[in-house]
Amino acid sequence: MADLIWLHEGALRRTHPVFAMAASGAPALFIWDRDRLAAGHVGARRQLFIAETLAELALNIYDGDAIDVIPRLVAAHGADRLLVPASPDPAIIRQIAAIRRAMPDVTVDIVEDTAFVTLAKEPDLARFFRYWNKARKSALRPHGV
Amino acid sequence: MDNQSPPSALTADDRNDLMGELAARSGPAPDGAAPRPMPGGRAAAEAALAAIDPVAYGASRNHLDGAVTRLSPYLRHGILSLDEVRNHALASVEDPRKAEKFIQELAWRDYWQRIYLAYPDRIWSDVEVYKTGFEASEYDTDLPTDIVEARTGVACIDQFTTMLYETGYLHNHARMYLAAYVVHWRRVRWQAGAAWFLEHLIDADPASNNLSWQWVASTFSKKPYIFNLDNVAKYTGHDINTRMSDNRVLAYSYERLTELLFPNLGPAHG
Repeated sequence: MADLIWLHEGALRRTHPVFAMAASGAPALFIWDRDRLAAGHVGARRQLFIAETLAELALNIYDGDAIDVIPRLVAAHGADRLLVPASPDPAIIRQIAAIRRAMPDVTVDIVEDTAFVTLAKEPDLARFFRYWNKARKSALRPHGV
Repeated sequence: MDNQSPPSALTADDRNDLMGELAARSGPAPDGAAPRPMPGGRAAAEAALAAIDPVAYGASRNHLDGAVTRLSPYLRHGILSLDEVRNHALASVEDPRKAEKFIQELAWRDYWQRIYLAYPDRIWSDVEVYKTGFEASEYDTDLPTDIVEARTGVACIDQFTTMLYETGYLHNHARMYLAAYVVHWRRVRWQAGAAWFLEHLIDADPASNNLSWQWVASTFSKKPYIFNLDNVAKYTGHDINTRMSDNRVLAYSYERLTELLFPNLGPAHG
């Protein structure tokens, strides 16, 4: 199985579980998606912060729209699985859905980050302290377990 | 781009050009040649993490010169995970409760992210109605120029805006002061202010940022958040101008400010 890792601006570290799930040595890449950055109100200072982080990560960066670039990179690498860190960002979620449609023969795995808390069921999110009252015990334990 | 050929990665020259362009657009460092306070990268993140003091944080976090951690840019971009930061904090104290205030702040981020995923429409829409006595339609949709240009004439507000521009970072209390001023003193919709912050903050996160603006505005809380000059003076150092003559619109009691800012609420809500 040939894997390709697409890192986005919400998961910029090599200790993210997406690397452990991918085959050893799988290439990781970042798409410098100017339209998505602009739509997300990402200013120059934050873009510089992201660029500095990418420089340290030493991975390939591609300019363009992820929906266009990723399927072509998957084909170029002969990958049959794309791994992506999970994100709550609707723009990234939409792009992942579009990429899935564009390459139906390729597996797309969305990989969650390590959990902060372990909860028996979905918490009430109407107010923070309703969530905190359920999450506190787990949050104060190493690894949230 | 040719759809038949594989895309090309940015070359070293491309990357250097990009960094140069972004550095130029970011403006100079706050004090000339000094390094920026929060550079990108895992090494900088680990150095910031090694420096945290969760106990001191719990005691002084509300003060602008308190033991805040400035980990937010690294958490926002997944350079550090909430889990590893929490584990680090717990390892530094004998009793987990001594790190509870700090860990609770990490939990706020987890909470905002859960809302973002479950209810993405709430990021730019009012979660609830304003509890200010005004309809949403009574708020301006655009940020006034004098706020954007840091020349409102309210000295501390203009200083906080300048800090935002110069550093890409604001202490949470300063964010709340600016947000409250924009929404309640100037009666501008929180969305305009939230977009403004997103453009300038290095740690800008739509969920944390926008839902915090909604909390201040009262569209995601039981009542509007306001502050007065005494509060600014209490939590800021000498480098913030809190002279009454330079901050007149803030120099009232909470009771009087409530009457002035929310006249439709009536005395029962004072």
